[in-house]
Amino acid sequence: MSRIKILKSLTFAALAIIAVRLFFIQIIEHDTWVAKANDQHTLLETITAKRGEIYMMDENEPVKVVLNQTVYQIIIDPATTDKEQIKTALEKYAKEYITADLDEIYNIEGLRYYIVARNVPYSNAVKIAEAEISSVWLKEGNRRVYPEGEMGSTLLGFVNADGVGQYGVEGSLNKLLSGKDGLLKTTADINKVALSIGNDNVKIPAENGKDVVLSVDRGLEKGAEEIMADYINHSAATHAATLIMNPNTGEVIAMTSLPSYNPGDYGRVDDASAYINQVTEVPYEPASICKSFTFSAAINEGKMTSETTYYNKGYEIIDGWKIRNAAQNASITNRELTMKTALYWSLNTGSIYALKLLGDNPDGITQVGRERLYDYYHNKFRLGRATGIELIEADGYIEDPNEGWGRDSTYANMTFGQNLGVTMIQTATAFSAVINGGYYRTPTIVKGTLENGTIVPFERKDTVSEQIISSDTSATMRDMLINNRSYRARLGIDRYGYNIGGKSGTAQVIVDGSYDDTMSNLVGSYIGFVGPNTEMPEYVIMVKIWGEGEALSGEKAMTLFESMANFTIDYLKIKPGV
Amino acid sequence: MALGLIVIYAIGPMRANVLNSTYGTDYDANYFFLGQLRSVALALIAFFLAFKVVPYKYLQKSAKFLIIIALLMSGILWILALSGSSLAKCELGECRWYNFGPVSFQPAEFLKLALVIYLADFLARKREAGDIGKLKEFWLPLAIVCGASLFLVVIAQGDLGSSVTLMAIIFGTLLVAGVPAKQYLIMLALILAVSVGAIATSSHRMERIHAWLDTISGAEVTDSTYHIENAMLAIGTGGFFGVGIGNSVQATGYLPESINDSVFAIMGETFGFVGLFLILAVFGAVLFRMLKVAEHTAPGDERIFIIGVFSWMLVQVAVNIMAMTGLVPVTGVTLPLLSYGGTSMVFISFAIGLVLQLSCYTSREVIKNEDISSRRGVGGTHHSSRRRRA
Repeated sequence: MSRIKILKSLTFAALAIIAVRLFFIQIIEHDTWVAKANDQHTLLETITAKRGEIYMMDENEPVKVVLNQTVYQIIIDPATTDKEQIKTALEKYAKEYITADLDEIYNIEGLRYYIVARNVPYSNAVKIAEAEISSVWLKEGNRRVYPEGEMGSTLLGFVNADGVGQYGVEGSLNKLLSGKDGLLKTTADINKVALSIGNDNVKIPAENGKDVVLSVDRGLEKGAEEIMADYINHSAATHAATLIMNPNTGEVIAMTSLPSYNPGDYGRVDDASAYINQVTEVPYEPASICKSFTFSAAINEGKMTSETTYYNKGYEIIDGWKIRNAAQNASITNRELTMKTALYWSLNTGSIYALKLLGDNPDGITQVGRERLYDYYHNKFRLGRATGIELIEADGYIEDPNEGWGRDSTYANMTFGQNLGVTMIQTATAFSAVINGGYYRTPTIVKGTLENGTIVPFERKDTVSEQIISSDTSATMRDMLINNRSYRARLGIDRYGYNIGGKSGTAQVIVDGSYDDTMSNLVGSYIGFVGPNTEMPEYVIMVKIWGEGEALSGEKAMTLFESMANFTIDYLKIKPGV
Repeated sequence: MALGLIVIYAIGPMRANVLNSTYGTDYDANYFFLGQLRSVALALIAFFLAFKVVPYKYLQKSAKFLIIIALLMSGILWILALSGSSLAKCELGECRWYNFGPVSFQPAEFLKLALVIYLADFLARKREAGDIGKLKEFWLPLAIVCGASLFLVVIAQGDLGSSVTLMAIIFGTLLVAGVPAKQYLIMLALILAVSVGAIATSSHRMERIHAWLDTISGAEVTDSTYHIENAMLAIGTGGFFGVGIGNSVQATGYLPESINDSVFAIMGETFGFVGLFLILAVFGAVLFRMLKVAEHTAPGDERIFIIGVFSWMLVQVAVNIMAMTGLVPVTGVTLPLLSYGGTSMVFISFAIGLVLQLSCYTSREVIKNEDISSRRGVGGTHHSSRRRRA
């Protein structure tokens, strides 16, 4: 009997220990275990939003220039027994997408997961899936495709491996294009498959990115690039940039620079500067182009007219610096000239005289003159300030009229576009105001978002639309700018029936802190407008050419402008006036 | 009155088992459920056969024959496994099952039953002959039979869990057979020493010990501690009332062996402390019932048999649950009547049926007492069973 009692005590003790233990785990430690369970069971997964596509205009229809393609990653378990089968299938169906050395991977001990091919298109991936090899998985992903190749690449930008837009429109409108990723928080089983068990499961659906329609015309963009490429091939220039916009609306219809790159294979560039949009991101000195702004200011202030005369010595000495005219022809030097003639010959003495008149003192530069010029350059023409276009932009700078040493010489230089930093888009937008009747309008490159086949205008904040000079001043400037090209018109280079006006700019490059007077290193720019001679100009075209150590003058840029202008007239079928 | 016992002994726990198996269906169709249903049906048949049809006396007479058959079955399995025959079913490198198409059979379970019957007969005979404690007449044949059984289970089948059960059966039966206390303690010390040696010389077994120690000391979760950690996590998550049927997350793959050895942990998650306490109470009631029946049975083969079955059941219940709660290392012992696995359920049901058959031979007076206590048990189980289903 006693021995059975021993068993009884033993049984009782065992059950009691278990009961106490259960009470301890289930009641006292309950919260700890629940927390641990949540850690283990909760699956947080991002639902990736679909990135919006990018369109350009073709005639009046949006066409895709950036699109998405569903591609697949092929993942294998290298410890599989189907090694040969996998190898055969991969080499048969996805050879060009293999990113790993299979033999090498097979030999790594303990490796159970490896991505062996990337960017495999659907048609290839399907064949591999149909082969039904165990331990081979396909993972769906997205790839950005740029069907036009290098076309417009500096404008479009690219999407990096993390799915983030870089440079260009991809970069500046990344937020709009990428949309908003959703979130899935759920209780999941050990294979990360979501379960319906659990009370705090959350599913926030992804908001797909918007499809963006650019105002850029695909054909014009492509043509402009071809013309630039041809120009580079037949000149000393190694780089070129073009901007074509509507001066009346601020809408950009072409914006491109060379050399460019293939955004679909963005890693393969020699120089990362190829990514940069030269039109909006690089401040420079457009030189004599800015004489249009100085003249506009003086005329608009009633300080001069196109017929106002001054005595051209061929140079000026300001703050001890001798500033010379580029043109030293006997027919114009040491003579009384009109301002119109000064602009035609692009005389620096002429624009400096305009600054003197602006300061109410024909004999010298005054503080009032500097302040007025600053007011026009900085406040009205908004030079040295980002325009607000829907792209990545640089500011640049305009020197303060009253601070620092040598203000007069700095401002004298500024009248012909040196000693300042402005971008092409700033210059072209200001120039548009000069010739469009006097209205500054924030430039734009986005027509809107494409929703259900219709373009919904793009909402923008802080846009400017204001008259900064009178329409009379603008008309005078148009005449003078057309006059600049009268020689080309007479030669028949500018077609009959069109108003084509423009201004060149030859910028000295700063070498070792001061302007290089040898004139062996020059950046050439030209800006002009095109339209039927019976109407207000509809297109402003700006080109810029440069190359390290090359003397590329505004005169050389002018020939590129002419090719652009003629192409624009032909391509857009602009009808001549009378 | 016997019906009440049947309900406690068989239906109650099995009902819970069926319910528990239902969430096996959550992730693997009805396969496990149907499999378990078949096992339960077979177990019920075995139970009735043992209770009503097969006389215990008949089995007792065949004791030697049965143990020889059982040892042969394990032996043949070993040979088959070594020769790589498809008749031997192996999992994780351990060959413990015969494979007969859709049906598999685990001879170790049969060996447990056979050993209980054999020991009951052997010990009773030696007791009558007064040979207990004698080296040649008693210890030698005992050591041969027990040694052979343990060898086949531990070495050939790598089944540490079953060997623990076999040892419990040996200890239990010897205890009530009247082995002198001194000899009994020496044997106990000797076998414990051998066991420790066997564990210490096997890296696989030592790893389990380390895993267990790591778990109770709260070390980082590693591959080794994963099983215990997740079993405790399932039990702990259950709280007082449990997460409810079908809401177990641990059963979705986190907890290894969730329907076999770890079923108790899943039940803990599902039914909470209340459910586990009731299950424990039912097992406790069954175990104490067996002891009571044994007390009222005359010393002899029947009592020894009952204690053998008792030891079998106690050790499986205690070792399984203690492993799941981090009290002892994981040994791979199934929870009687609840774990998925037909062979185990059929043989323990058969054994319990035999105990019940023997309980009917006890005196009328005793039966009346049993009746009262068992009815209380019945009521409780019924009640909880219905609530679980709701």
